[in-house]
Amino acid sequence: MALINVATREIHCNIVYYGTGFCGKTTNLQYIHRHARPEARGKLLSIATESERTLFFDFLPLDLGAVHGFRVRFHLYTVPGQVLYERTRVAVLTGADGVVLVMDSGADKLEENFQSLIELETNMRKLGKDLGNFPFVMQWNKRDLPDAVPVATLDRYLNRRRVEAFDAVATTGEGVFATLRAICKSVMARL
Amino acid sequence: MEQLSNLVVSEGELGNIARVLGRLTLDTAASHVLLLDKSGQLIAAQGQMGQRDLIALGALLAGAFSSSRHVAEILGETDFRHILQQGLHESISTSLIGEQWLLVVVFDKQTHIGLVKVLARKAADELERVLERVRAGGGRAKEQVINVQFRNSVENTIDLLFQD
Ligand SMILES: Nc1nc2c(ncn2[C@@H]2O[C@H](COP(=O)(O)OP(=O)(O)O)[C@@H](O)[C@H]2O)c(=O)[nH]1
Ligand SMILES: [Mg+2]
Repeated sequence: MALINVATREIHCNIVYYGTGFCGKTTNLQYIHRHARPEARGKLLSIATESERTLFFDFLPLDLGAVHGFRVRFHLYTVPGQVLYERTRVAVLTGADGVVLVMDSGADKLEENFQSLIELETNMRKLGKDLGNFPFVMQWNKRDLPDAVPVATLDRYLNRRRVEAFDAVATTGEGVFATLRAICKSVMARL
Repeated sequence: MEQLSNLVVSEGELGNIARVLGRLTLDTAASHVLLLDKSGQLIAAQGQMGQRDLIALGALLAGAFSSSRHVAEILGETDFRHILQQGLHESISTSLIGEQWLLVVVFDKQTHIGLVKVLARKAADELERVLERVRAGGGRAKEQVINVQFRNSVENTIDLLFQD
């Protein structure tokens, strides 16, 4: 949840990158960390298992500096995609002010993506949040894959709400900042 | 549409929080005392530590706490309301305040763990009253901060900073 500290003149918002395992969430944060202005980016923390898969989360604080006398910060989280960690995903979603759903464009991932969307909707409902009325954008990642599903198809099956969606290749950074800008603005607009 | 989950802390209430944290710091000789939202957001802190480290510490402790609650579930416990991470020199006590916040005390081996537990519990009860009040009455203070100029400036700053 957003924290507005009138006394210390600070505003903090949490953004969660959600999606199936290996869809490219960590890669998004790594790219942002490498390419954001040095004054804006904090330490990238990754809590991984020994096999390097995200266990609890990746965490990247971003600092916009002073805006009209208020220090504005966005905290980016990723959640582990494995089915096993559903409860961890709920815990991280509890504090979310905005959600980016990262979708793997690979042809064999369509069903998994669909399940991840359904799970997100269910978890948000459990938390008393309505995804249809919440800062929420999508990212079609891995557009470079030779078997990438056409965007029109992804849109039809996975984006019935017609929320803002961005084509991306997280490994090269394409679409990464466009996604970030959209979710940050959406969060601020609803603050 | 407005989100219901915003927490707007006014000057006066932050003073009340600081008083409770200050007393706890003194009575336990703690090196740091942190008040966090369960998601890891830092609400207030006492002690000498850079802002960047505090933010990281908040996120990690909230993660550890959340993971411990899942452990509790598996054991058929409803909750671990208090967890202790004990180091050779320094230890960390984390207690749940109500259902939404965490109180963290970082202390060294000079201080008895039992004392920290009792005093943290007392402070948590006091903080819960303040935080419930903050949660209930935040709307008005927000209007002073988030106005049209602010929104425009934020959008421009986002465009400026977040690009390749
Ligand atoms: N071809 C391709 N591979 C990607 C892209 N984004 C991420 N990957 C790769 O997909 C794998 C999983 O990415 P990761 O960010 O760890 O996924 P996470 O589980 O969602 O955090 C890694 O090997 C990445 O290099 C992309 O846009 N295109
Ligand atoms: Mg990952």
